[in-house]
Amino acid sequence: MARILAAVWPIVKGCITGGVFGITIADWSASYVTLHGASMHPTFDPQQAERALVDKRCLHRYHFSRGDVVVFRSPRDHRELVVKRLIALPGDWIQIPEKQEIQQIPQGRCWVEGDNAATSFDSRSYGPVPMGLLRGRVTHIIWPPHRIGRVDRKMPEGRIVPL
Amino acid sequence: MRTYSHLWSTTKRSAMAFVIGVSISDRWANFTWVTGESMYPTFTAANSFWGGDFVLAEKRCLEQCKFSHGDVILFKCPSNHKEMLVKRLIGLPGEKIQLPGSLNPTKIPEGHCWVEGDNSTRSWDSRAFGPIPLGLVQGRVTHIIWPPSRIGRLERKMHEGRISPD
Repeated sequence: MARILAAVWPIVKGCITGGVFGITIADWSASYVTLHGASMHPTFDPQQAERALVDKRCLHRYHFSRGDVVVFRSPRDHRELVVKRLIALPGDWIQIPEKQEIQQIPQGRCWVEGDNAATSFDSRSYGPVPMGLLRGRVTHIIWPPHRIGRVDRKMPEGRIVPL
Repeated sequence: MRTYSHLWSTTKRSAMAFVIGVSISDRWANFTWVTGESMYPTFTAANSFWGGDFVLAEKRCLEQCKFSHGDVILFKCPSNHKEMLVKRLIGLPGEKIQLPGSLNPTKIPEGHCWVEGDNSTRSWDSRAFGPIPLGLVQGRVTHIIWPPSRIGRLERKMHEGRISPD
């Protein structure tokens, strides 16, 4: 019995170490999400369940830029993670296409929209999102193999009103 | 050579302990200082020598999203993501809440909750910034650890008559 235990112990120890380090990395630096829905077409293809790499290091200091693709907890349902493009940061003035008006983003909030405006449920319906809900930044598509590549920072023209 | 291997095993152990500690504080429970007067008389130490209460906040409730009325919760401030606030949970999604100043009850939207401090005259809470998304909640305060005279469980306490029945 003792001999079996001695033989198995290094394997068990290795698994535990691996698991603990894996959890820490997933919490602090990077993890992945599976993408569903057509709201971010053409950045992500809705035909297949694509997986994307999420960078979480930007959360420590909130290094986000306009045009980043971000992951955040839905303000409507806290169990759901949503992927959208960050359009405006706190203090920016933004032009809302449907309403023909200019709105200032309050402190500590940001404006998010899907690339596919027609099917996206985003800040245009629920307003600016608190920055505290952000959970990371999507940097790469990692699955399926033929779609592997960087996700670019892209900014729609003329949305931010310079003052 | 022996000191080297000794040093290596110590390093390995402390790295492991550090990583386990970080994971526990991220996922299960962590400690926080609570300062300010908004939660008086639940947290009383703000004006004392210590300058605040040291509390234990559990995070397991986040995964199952089990919150009840009267829980003391820890959440990120909706207008400043670097700041954490501690308040009492008053209303859950879908409920109607009676505000002291107005006649009509306010309905809390889906995925949001209503938080207020126990010391309503000195508290900056949902009455000022409205209902907050549940996604901002970071944990539930369960125990006071410091000051020693007040060590113990935190009770769930509900204000009567705030939630209007439909």
